[in-house]
Amino acid sequence: MTRDRRHILVVEDDPETAGQLVEQLTTSGYQVDLAGTGSEALRRGAASEYAVITIDRMLPDIDGITVMRQLRDDGIAAPFLIISALGEVDERVRGLRAGGDDYLVKPFSFVELLARLEALGRRSDAAVKETILRVGDLAIDLISRTASRRGKDIPLFPREFQLLEYLVRNESRVVSRAMLLQHVWDLHFDPSTNIIDVYVGRVRRKVDGQQAYPLIHTVRGVGYCLRAPG
Amino acid sequence: MLLAKTLTSSTFKLALIAIGTFGLIVSAILGYVYLSTSAYVRNRSDRLIMTECLILRDDYQRSGRDGLIDAIRRRMTYRSAGDRVYLLVDPSMAALAGNLKEWPPAVGAGSGWTEFRAAGTSPDATNGPLLRVMLETFPSGDRLLVGRDISDLDSFTAQIRTAVISGLALIFVLAAVASILVTRRTVGRIESINATSRAIMRSGLDQRIPLRGSNDEWDRVAENLNLMLDRIETLMAEVKQVSDNVAHDLRTPLTRMRGRLEKAYHGQRVADDDQSLIGDTIVDLDAVLRIFSSITRIAQIETQARKGAFRTVNLAEIASEVVELYDAAAEQDGTRLTVVGDSEVLVTGDRDLIFDAISNLVDNAIKHGRHGGQVVVASENSDGGAVVSISDDGSGIPAEQHVQVFKRFYRLEHSRYTAGNGLGLSLVAAVANLHDARIELLDNAPGLKVSVWFSSPSA
Repeated sequence: MTRDRRHILVVEDDPETAGQLVEQLTTSGYQVDLAGTGSEALRRGAASEYAVITIDRMLPDIDGITVMRQLRDDGIAAPFLIISALGEVDERVRGLRAGGDDYLVKPFSFVELLARLEALGRRSDAAVKETILRVGDLAIDLISRTASRRGKDIPLFPREFQLLEYLVRNESRVVSRAMLLQHVWDLHFDPSTNIIDVYVGRVRRKVDGQQAYPLIHTVRGVGYCLRAPG
Repeated sequence: MLLAKTLTSSTFKLALIAIGTFGLIVSAILGYVYLSTSAYVRNRSDRLIMTECLILRDDYQRSGRDGLIDAIRRRMTYRSAGDRVYLLVDPSMAALAGNLKEWPPAVGAGSGWTEFRAAGTSPDATNGPLLRVMLETFPSGDRLLVGRDISDLDSFTAQIRTAVISGLALIFVLAAVASILVTRRTVGRIESINATSRAIMRSGLDQRIPLRGSNDEWDRVAENLNLMLDRIETLMAEVKQVSDNVAHDLRTPLTRMRGRLEKAYHGQRVADDDQSLIGDTIVDLDAVLRIFSSITRIAQIETQARKGAFRTVNLAEIASEVVELYDAAAEQDGTRLTVVGDSEVLVTGDRDLIFDAISNLVDNAIKHGRHGGQVVVASENSDGGAVVSISDDGSGIPAEQHVQVFKRFYRLEHSRYTAGNGLGLSLVAAVANLHDARIELLDNAPGLKVSVWFSSPSA
């Protein structure tokens, strides 16, 4: 695999949004190519191997979904992140069904975009084969679905385990509330309450309570990040 | 105006076609009756004449000329012979017997049927009676004429003809009048509906189509149109209420943001202040966006477009997932959140939307229920269909405010200062509406019990 993990293609027709994206992504260490139209996206997408392609649904010439299908048909394996102002669930489902890997609704916060890009870039790596995942002194067993710190079992409900597993799999990466809802609860809407925070709060008390150091960290305005100190 | 509309209306055209078809059939039947009646009358008269002629010929052949003369004279005395005519002439055309003075000039020699008008029998009449006669020429040269006055027959068939024609004319006139009246009525009703529609387009939704109280299909059309207008008026009022509320709810954070930015624009740059200003502005912007997306989400649900994606889902499963999600929040609030009921309650619907609706109800129950109280989510198959109920033991909602509660943005007076944008219950109402489900608010004594009744799948 020669694919560059930091090389991404941004397909966006609004010059100001495109400029902001390129600038912020470059600052975050990505090498960014920009395509302003569907045909340019087709040309660039086929020319190099990208870690992720972000694509706008409404492009001046060709519809984003069509571009995505075309690139898939041409054998492009890079994950697609659809970014669109068409936010409703049906549109989202249609985009994902057409071959998109994730969906982000405009307007979005840049940290949210970054979190999803990180997750997508990692997803295209080889899948982890181990059945026990470790972060610091935390170990989770994917077979027996139990978690422990320093060998001491942490009693978790099944959904709490799922949440912890998702955080562990995305170790050291920011995970947004929407991503948690999507991957842990399979919900594609925002209940617009602090319900996720409360839920994570309880998992955090169970995991980090009376321990040497905390693992679950709050990232203000975005979500959470699980990482070992140091 | 109304007459012109009547004559051009489709009802009238249909009526004309019906009258035409009906008229043709009636004309054919009456024509047949007329023709067969007159043919029958004529045949019968001809048979009588022919029989008499044959008898007289027989007399001539048996008893000669004198016998025939006797026979004719005898026959003329019969009472029934009033309309008969006889004449026997010798080869020199001199009358030998009969009640005609002379051989009529219009009638030539030979034998067979002929008709003519006779002046002889009634001298004063210029137009004598019409006679139909049979002629016979004997080998000796004598000629016999036997016939009848058929004026009566003629006037009889003429009467039938008149009756038939005037009957037809009457039918056409009556049908035309009836169809004009019926069409006028139809056009009149449609005109009143049209007039109301125009008035509504001109001025506003306060007009209604007048009913005639006849309880016929026109009244029912008018009733339904009026109901539709009521519904539209209600929706318009709601939309107005919503836009007022939206304007209010959006203006508040937008005004805060504007003020903040304006102050910063005119003031000195202070890194820490700028940082917190930007952070606060983003929080406010997010609030604005959330209100915005809630509104579009409700609007989209209300278009019913999602019905196409309905499948069979288990209410009990969704309910326990919601309870699981809110478990931590309830724990934090000191509320005991439990799920009870049947393990399989199947309904046809959209899982995400039902989840969202139940979440909203549970969220409300936890927020507005008694602190340290309990919230019960129950799903069951009851006689009235599948039902999911969320009950708390808090302060409840006064009965007179139950309808109000589902209006978009409505907030009970005492909860105006709790978090939330008031859209939750409107969303529940929209989701229920999409699923043809019925929402019931009951006093849980104490507290509130909200039940959503679904119609069971394939039931």
